[in-house]
Amino acid sequence: MKRDIHLEWFLAFPRQEVWTCLTDPELIGQWLMKNDFQPVVGHRFQFRDKPKKGFGWDGIVYCQVLEVISEEKLSFRWQGGPGDGSLTLDSVVTWTLIAQPGGTRLVLDHTGFSGFKGLIASMIMKKGWAHHVIRRFTEILTKRTHAHV
Amino acid sequence: MPTYNTDPFYALADPNRRAILMLIRKEKRSINTLATNFDVSRPAVSKHIKVLHDAGFLHYEDVGRERFCRLNPDGFNGVKEWVEHFEQFWETKVHNLEQLLKKRANLKNKKR
Repeated sequence: MKRDIHLEWFLAFPRQEVWTCLTDPELIGQWLMKNDFQPVVGHRFQFRDKPKKGFGWDGIVYCQVLEVISEEKLSFRWQGGPGDGSLTLDSVVTWTLIAQPGGTRLVLDHTGFSGFKGLIASMIMKKGWAHHVIRRFTEILTKRTHAHV
Repeated sequence: MPTYNTDPFYALADPNRRAILMLIRKEKRSINTLATNFDVSRPAVSKHIKVLHDAGFLHYEDVGRERFCRLNPDGFNGVKEWVEHFEQFWETKVHNLEQLLKKRANLKNKKR
């Protein structure tokens, strides 16, 4: 079972422009969240948004820059919690930029959830679609189990 | 301290554990019955079952001297919700990013 989120987009804009929007704190604030980001490895910063109590999140993402390769790659730690001092979510966000004809391929990997367990405990469980989910997972499990034999 | 890991992603990372979930998806099965389906030792199977139990994927039911395992569909909720929440989150944000890029490109064109 893969725990990673992997998403890709094609943006019809030059890579340099996309990079600027990913790394300028003022611009990041316009599309993502208010922040005190700096593209410097080791820099600790925060994103701030409206708290989501039902989701066990106090509205602050605690981050630290892990890797900066200009116009190519940006990686930072992404932690969050319910606001009682515990960090139930401990993950890593990585942006990869690939120049393509007419624009930029933007790749997002959001991975590594060692502290995810607390979040699940606080989640509101809905029974309605449980059977649907089980069916979908059974399909995935079947494929993966066969792949391992 | 006993090891206790409720991470569903960890629980599902092992092919034997996924196979156990497959075996109990329709009906409850005893640990002994489950163990006969695997080449690994019975204690190893028990350990896998404990991991699945800790992560909320199955319930225990004791019948006489035998312990049965019943699938708990709620165990999958966390995985599904987490992934869906964040995928939606990033889709929305990158849509914002695209709008911002458009706005900036228009401003540049006007300046020229």
